[in-house]
Amino acid sequence: MCETCGCGDSDQFEIHDPHHTHSHDQSHAHFHAHGGKMHSHSHPHKKVINLNMDILSENNHLAHFNRSFFEEKKVLCLNLVSSPGSGKTTILEKTIHALISTNKIAVIEGDQQTLLDAERIEKSGAPSIQINTGSGCHLDAKMIGSALTKLKVEQNSILFIENVGNLVCPAMFDLGEYKRVVVISVTEGEDKPLKYPYMFQSSHLCIINKADLLPYVDFNTEKAIEYARSINPELEFIILSARSSEGMELWYAWLEKQLKR
Amino acid sequence: MHEFSLAEEVINLAQREAEKNNVNTISEIQIEVGDLSGVEAEAFESALGLLVKDTILNNSKINIIRTPGKGHCNACNLEFEMHHMQASCPHCRAFPSIINGGQEFRVLSLLVE
Repeated sequence: MCETCGCGDSDQFEIHDPHHTHSHDQSHAHFHAHGGKMHSHSHPHKKVINLNMDILSENNHLAHFNRSFFEEKKVLCLNLVSSPGSGKTTILEKTIHALISTNKIAVIEGDQQTLLDAERIEKSGAPSIQINTGSGCHLDAKMIGSALTKLKVEQNSILFIENVGNLVCPAMFDLGEYKRVVVISVTEGEDKPLKYPYMFQSSHLCIINKADLLPYVDFNTEKAIEYARSINPELEFIILSARSSEGMELWYAWLEKQLKR
Repeated sequence: MHEFSLAEEVINLAQREAEKNNVNTISEIQIEVGDLSGVEAEAFESALGLLVKDTILNNSKINIIRTPGKGHCNACNLEFEMHHMQASCPHCRAFPSIINGGQEFRVLSLLVE
């Protein structure tokens, strides 16, 4: 297991329908090695196989499948990434409340443990499925593919994927989403884009949440935007507060624009 | 970080290629890790070293090739070595720069028997 953040075997995940909480699928292999020593042999019949193959090619291949599925069904799929506690679930709850009467919405929730977020989403009125990654620190395309066999995703709908709260690892894993949305909150430092550049570089929209707390914290919004743009000049920004609803209409307008793509 | 998951991807990829090419032994695997790939090369190498036991890569020499980050300045067209993602142009100080190297993370080749 990764000592930095607990990242482990990506095959070791569970998918839970909040209505049927006892599913345990996915058999998985473990590796329990302890410092296997490496050495080379000499042998008369050696040959070189040139591959030049992206190590994430398997994930990218599965992400491509997911993307084709979304395109065929005209599903707007968005991957929400952030550090823990930035307010992704609250943003989704508010969004579902506001848009469920006019849009079909479903949610895939990713957390290491618990069904808490999927239950919150279900209460707001959208179907959801929970992926528990166990020791894993990100969702991957295979997990999304498995979740899609259990979650009913309708034609012409919006699918939100709420990734595991982590600004590092999810950056590398394409899930097949149309766009990636990174959420930061004003209770975090404005230097987050500089500290976690890969996430900001791979995102399309940055939501700055908890704007109602701006008078009480030292967060410098302009600086945060400037830092993020120095990593990714194409990044769009929306400043809002999911709690007070201030600025949420900008997010809904952005979603509307993506739906008309 | 995700280096353990990535090391597993490498083992799976090596296993698939070995089966495809009908070989039982991989004596060396050459892996390119770009400095701007988001992969910590040392952590990745340690993770791979821990996970190879009882796999096709158990006795393979693991050869990791680091590729430096390269940037291109849109303002003055300078090509320069980029050590981190938020690097301004060393000549005119403009940024952002376009990354055009160092994001590679791939298996280059296998030496098989």
